[in-house]
Amino acid sequence: MLTRIAGGRVVDPTAGRDAVSDVWIEDGRVVAPSDRAPDRTIDAAGCIVMAGGVEVHSHIAGGNVVLARLLLPELGVSEPDAPNPHGSGRDVGMLYARMGYTTAVEPAMPPVNALATQLELAEIPLLDRGGLCVMGNDDQLLQLLRDRESADAVRDLVALNVATSRALGVKVINAGGADAFKDGAVRFALDDEVPAYGLTSRTILNGLLDAVEALKVPHPLHVHCSNLGLPGADDSLIETLEAAEGRRIHFAHAQFYAYAAVDKDNPLTGGFTSAAPRIAEALARHPNATLDIGQVVFGQTATISLDILRQFSGRKAASPRKWIVNAGDAEGGGIVPFRYRDRGPTSSLQFAIGLEMMLLSPDPERTILTTDHPNGGPFTAYPRILHLLMDKEARDREVAAHPKVAAERSGLAGIEREYTLSEVAQLTRSGPAKLLGLADRGHLRPGARADVAIYRDQPDRTAMFARAHRVLKDGAVIVEDGEVVAWTRGHTLSLSVEADAGMARRTDAYLQGRFGAGLSSFTVPDAAFPDREVFEAVSCRT
Amino acid sequence: MTAWIDGQAVERGTAVAAAASLLAEAHGPVIAGLCAEAAAVQAAYDLARAIGASLDPAAGAGLYADLGALASGGAMTTTPAEARGRADLVLVLGAAPWASGLPGDLAVEAPVRGRAAGQPRALLALGGPGDGGVRHVAYPAGEAGLPADIGLLRGLVAGRIAGPHPLADLASRLRGALYGVVVYDPSEIGALAAEMLNGLVKDLNEVTRCFALPLGDPHQGRAVTQVAAWSTGQGPRVGFGRGRPEHDPWRFDAARQAESGEIDAALWLASLPAPLPAWTRRVPTVALLGAPTGDEARVVIGVGVPGEAFGAALWHPRRAAIAWQEAARQEAPRQEAARGAGAPQPDVLPSAAAILADLQARLAAFPVSNPERSASC
Repeated sequence: MLTRIAGGRVVDPTAGRDAVSDVWIEDGRVVAPSDRAPDRTIDAAGCIVMAGGVEVHSHIAGGNVVLARLLLPELGVSEPDAPNPHGSGRDVGMLYARMGYTTAVEPAMPPVNALATQLELAEIPLLDRGGLCVMGNDDQLLQLLRDRESADAVRDLVALNVATSRALGVKVINAGGADAFKDGAVRFALDDEVPAYGLTSRTILNGLLDAVEALKVPHPLHVHCSNLGLPGADDSLIETLEAAEGRRIHFAHAQFYAYAAVDKDNPLTGGFTSAAPRIAEALARHPNATLDIGQVVFGQTATISLDILRQFSGRKAASPRKWIVNAGDAEGGGIVPFRYRDRGPTSSLQFAIGLEMMLLSPDPERTILTTDHPNGGPFTAYPRILHLLMDKEARDREVAAHPKVAAERSGLAGIEREYTLSEVAQLTRSGPAKLLGLADRGHLRPGARADVAIYRDQPDRTAMFARAHRVLKDGAVIVEDGEVVAWTRGHTLSLSVEADAGMARRTDAYLQGRFGAGLSSFTVPDAAFPDREVFEAVSCRT
Repeated sequence: MTAWIDGQAVERGTAVAAAASLLAEAHGPVIAGLCAEAAAVQAAYDLARAIGASLDPAAGAGLYADLGALASGGAMTTTPAEARGRADLVLVLGAAPWASGLPGDLAVEAPVRGRAAGQPRALLALGGPGDGGVRHVAYPAGEAGLPADIGLLRGLVAGRIAGPHPLADLASRLRGALYGVVVYDPSEIGALAAEMLNGLVKDLNEVTRCFALPLGDPHQGRAVTQVAAWSTGQGPRVGFGRGRPEHDPWRFDAARQAESGEIDAALWLASLPAPLPAWTRRVPTVALLGAPTGDEARVVIGVGVPGEAFGAALWHPRRAAIAWQEAARQEAPRQEAARGAGAPQPDVLPSAAAILADLQARLAAFPVSNPERSASC
């Protein structure tokens, strides 16, 4: 079927396109303009036409997301006609699709819990999904590094974990920090040693950076640094960036590290000020690096992280006063409920810093919009955030309503920049798609997957981005006037990577000894999803 | 035979049609048991959403002892493999954990990972049955019972109880351990004691590391909890009667609903063994069973046993995770062949997930009020 999306303002920064024109679609792909009469015409007059949004870091599946729902049953309630971003997978898929998002990645899939995570991802309708396999605190990897085995062995173990868990990429979360926590540590930084292995966090990071490069994983190593949320955390991010030594690296929820200590000698007691300019400057100097923001928004949420050392340290800030730390088979996870106080000084400053980072960005394709859902707040805040980025006046009104400290300790108030629609598309489409190595999305050039979001152009950008006029997934209309009209199921993207047979045998023996269950117990076979084709293969870089 | 109506063997298709009619005519159906592979549990939640049923796993009561404590105060937990690999002290509470075999394994091993590696492991028991086959130090339960002992222990650990006390030594051992693990069965100790235990463990982490290790039920309850959470945003006991998931552990207790006459039809799902509740004889019930005899319910349909007849995602108690379990090796076909070509082919049983999907498709064709479409009732 040939479809013409007619007369919209088509915004595709990857083609330098921002003008009223048509987008043509056939067989689920964008095609060149056709002379043939279309079988269907979608009137996009008065609308903005963009590629479907791509999410790189949102906690939408996995054991810790499940635990958060059980810890806070009141947070996950679905009311009639009010789907909840903390609720079911169905609600999550619906809410993303309504905003024009068509792909979303869960960044924290522990290999020991891959099957449950993948079962859950498969129950998120409407979107294509993917999971990043978490390594860096697992005993088998730490043993390899401690015993100074070859880089090839580390590479083979990473490949095996990606293949077994059917992941799209690799993430490391405070490398070694969870293990150190289990041995009593409550502070841990890049050059601290994991006590039981005599390895620094830096050594583990290095091993994983090399392995991801050697395997040609399209998505660079996705890094959650140490010292998240602490005054002086900017040092951790910059040190980690320098440690990458030019290798590709992605920093997760960088806002939570953009906190310069006010009192350098007593960083934990003097409070913090924005380090957004420092991080923007470092990003400009390091074309190998990308980051996503982890924007804070106000209200009740649950923080979810595999960084159990930080979650344990943050337990006393839990609101309401209940929390979970699970010392799991590698990281485990921590759930700490948190309320970002509307007009609270700290929350307001965090809010300002996130916006400042995006507005100072030297390259919006490398500073991707996330709220680290649900850690900074729900992903449903994106429309409002985009509005504030695009509208200096609205931003000034917002800042004026916050405590003075937000303006005093950040540079937000002085920034004149207003994001263009092309820059919005870079922040939410082309940037994240390039970062994930998904060449078939994030743009509208011929050959692109026909994932398209059509928004009514209106001054109220919040309203515009919250409920798309039309959303197409693989060429099929799934949203009309902000409502889901077709419950398609999407695919889960998994990287095609060959696992080494020798490492598979060795790992099978290791797992048998440790769990009384071999490698097959940890697999995610197609047969776990009867009567459905869930997975779609993504190739490694050539 | 693999399908029955009122105890009489019938073709499977006839039984599935009868099951669909039984559920279609119901005003308040429940889908219970849920002792099955993840795909079947998922299909059960999908069916419940479509027909406005409520759900309750066989594991319900014990599961909610832990879920209640979790929602009240949270927890600090670890896994069986971490207990085996790291713990220098394991405290086993009550009698139930001894039936799992885990204490025996923990007794013969010592920590191999982390800062306690190379040290011996102390196995302690409070209120246990006194298993003479496993070397351990036994502390008798007090007269007020195990829940009270846990409270006393918490007070002792926090230094809130002065003077000599029979459990003072146990408290001091817990404080002195490098990686303590407290093993318990939530259905044995109950929600209040589980909450107290979580408090004890959290207190201990102010000075050292200590984690709770709840043992799972044998009826897939912890896998059901996960499927329920991603399907509904809530724990397992939910009702879709108003077209959206409503979570209420009391209201959607299937036994209570049967007792009070709130349900008029049921589907009992147990592709793995689970005790059949007596109310399935009173309430018109469809039973999907891995080991049927035919007279368990009004309509009985035999289904394949997951992890035997076919590979399946099942709760793995020693991994404390949903794990893939391959089909058992098929020895039977060779025996059949040995008996000669004339032997009848064994009937390949369908999976429960396939039957549930079939039921959902059939029920979509019935002219009943669909709560997804008309939620106003």
